[in-house]
Amino acid sequence: MTRFLPAEEFAPKAYALLPCRFEPLDEGLILSNMAGEPMFIDRSRFEALVQGRFSTTDPLFPELRAKHFVREPGEQHPIELLALKVRTKYAHLADFTNLHLFVVTLRCDHSCQYCQVSRQSEDKLRYDMTPETADKALDLVFLSPNPAIKIEIQGGEPLLNWPVVEHIILGAEARNRVARRALQIVIATTLSLVTDDMLYFCRDHNVLLSSSLDGPADLHDRNRPRPGRDSHAKFVAGLTKARDIVGADAVSALMTTAPASMDRVRDIIDEYVRLGFRDIFLRHVSPYGFAAKTRSYAAYNAQKWLEFYKEGLRYILELNAAGVPFVENYSRLLLTKMLTPRDPGFVDLSNPCGAGILAVVFNYDGEVYASDESRMLKEMGDASFRIGDVHKNTYKEIFTSDALLTVLDESFTLSAPMCSDCALEPWCGTDPVFHHGMTGDLLGRKPASEFCKRQMGAVKHLLRLMRDNSDAQRLFRRWAGC
Amino acid sequence: MQIRLDPAAYSVEAAEKAAYRLIDRIAVLVSTDASAIVCEITPEDPALIDAFKREVLDQQLRLSIRTQTEDVRNLILAFAFSRTGLQQ
Repeated sequence: MTRFLPAEEFAPKAYALLPCRFEPLDEGLILSNMAGEPMFIDRSRFEALVQGRFSTTDPLFPELRAKHFVREPGEQHPIELLALKVRTKYAHLADFTNLHLFVVTLRCDHSCQYCQVSRQSEDKLRYDMTPETADKALDLVFLSPNPAIKIEIQGGEPLLNWPVVEHIILGAEARNRVARRALQIVIATTLSLVTDDMLYFCRDHNVLLSSSLDGPADLHDRNRPRPGRDSHAKFVAGLTKARDIVGADAVSALMTTAPASMDRVRDIIDEYVRLGFRDIFLRHVSPYGFAAKTRSYAAYNAQKWLEFYKEGLRYILELNAAGVPFVENYSRLLLTKMLTPRDPGFVDLSNPCGAGILAVVFNYDGEVYASDESRMLKEMGDASFRIGDVHKNTYKEIFTSDALLTVLDESFTLSAPMCSDCALEPWCGTDPVFHHGMTGDLLGRKPASEFCKRQMGAVKHLLRLMRDNSDAQRLFRRWAGC
Repeated sequence: MQIRLDPAAYSVEAAEKAAYRLIDRIAVLVSTDASAIVCEITPEDPALIDAFKREVLDQQLRLSIRTQTEDVRNLILAFAFSRTGLQQ
């Protein structure tokens, strides 16, 4: 006589399916539940599951139940837990706009081939933001209900209009003494023109610096020409000074994948490690500004960028295995969406799209744009995403403008063909400005969309790594913060 | 190339959604007659025609999930967005 009943005796007698989506992944399927939690399953078992033939004693059943793909008939708590996760995922929407970008000048000392900002030469003062425009924009910033406000000051090269940079920082601090938000200010600069006085000012006002590093000196200087061809040397000098004065973690770096970068991803990562960075964002080129006018964008498609990304990730996994902690930030964003109920609120990876409601851009002349890419399109003559003007419009007029609401409405992925059925949708986003710029349509045809190919390619690569490589799975969970 | 789908097993919606997923490679005209859902496919590439057939199966499965879970999906969304202020 046994003292315990067999485990099968405790298995549920029946189950009910919960909402889920699936996509083929190699020979099997990847499932996602309503909150975007992933699970691998083979096709025959999944078909049995949907047809009500799945055995509740199957070894996969506990995982299906734990991840809310099934419940016992009448069970309420899976519904409440799923609802809580869905609510957490969208909670940031109620906070509204966090990131406010100030384009303080279009002037720049660099003439990068792929530049997305459509630079103007250094002496054209008419492309500078005035203190009056900055004040009007600041007034709008603090009308956002978001308890956290981030101001990013960019250009061109914003240090060429330093008086207005100071004006914005002081003005934001003064307003925040009343508004009492969690205020963060970042200057996006190449560091080529940075002085000690500027850095002391940044230190005294808790301002962070976001800079640009494209790789080793030969690649960086080729991508980022300036008089003297010394961009890399100036970056390294500026970085050393900034770390000394502002703080060791005060400077981050962004890289842009130019055609010349495509075969150099290991060199690029090595340079980041050599200079003491602990992460990298393997960005693709946006097809705006000079990037669309020249051949930079045509030089590589989603497939080529994916090869670059996969090779970079392979190398980063090797580095981590060898005891060098290093993170790839695009993957971290995707993994946070895949492995946690949190949404990182990244503009290009959001649904509804982040235009206006996650980030907004104040151009040097006071015009307001739904995103940085929208402003770049305008510099190319397409003002479709101009949502207002700080000198003419109220906060309400800007954020309820038809130009903004149409973008949000028409690009919503849960209503979009293919996206609404796609298991990868919870980890994806919508990029209406990209699709408008490339095809003239806010939604684009997803099967032909480079955005869709890039996103699907990256997500499926991460899923395969998690499925097949337990070291990668552990590392990815750490990157996602779970 | 013409494919005839049994309307007892497949819906027009599944055929349309499958056609959309392959829109960058094949053109599919979906219509119905007295006994079938008719899909006219060009060009006649056997590999793509097979891909279309597999996609129709997947789309029918997706519709089955949606039908089975529609009520609970609405309930979860109602729970999720109650008391957030977002529904106002």
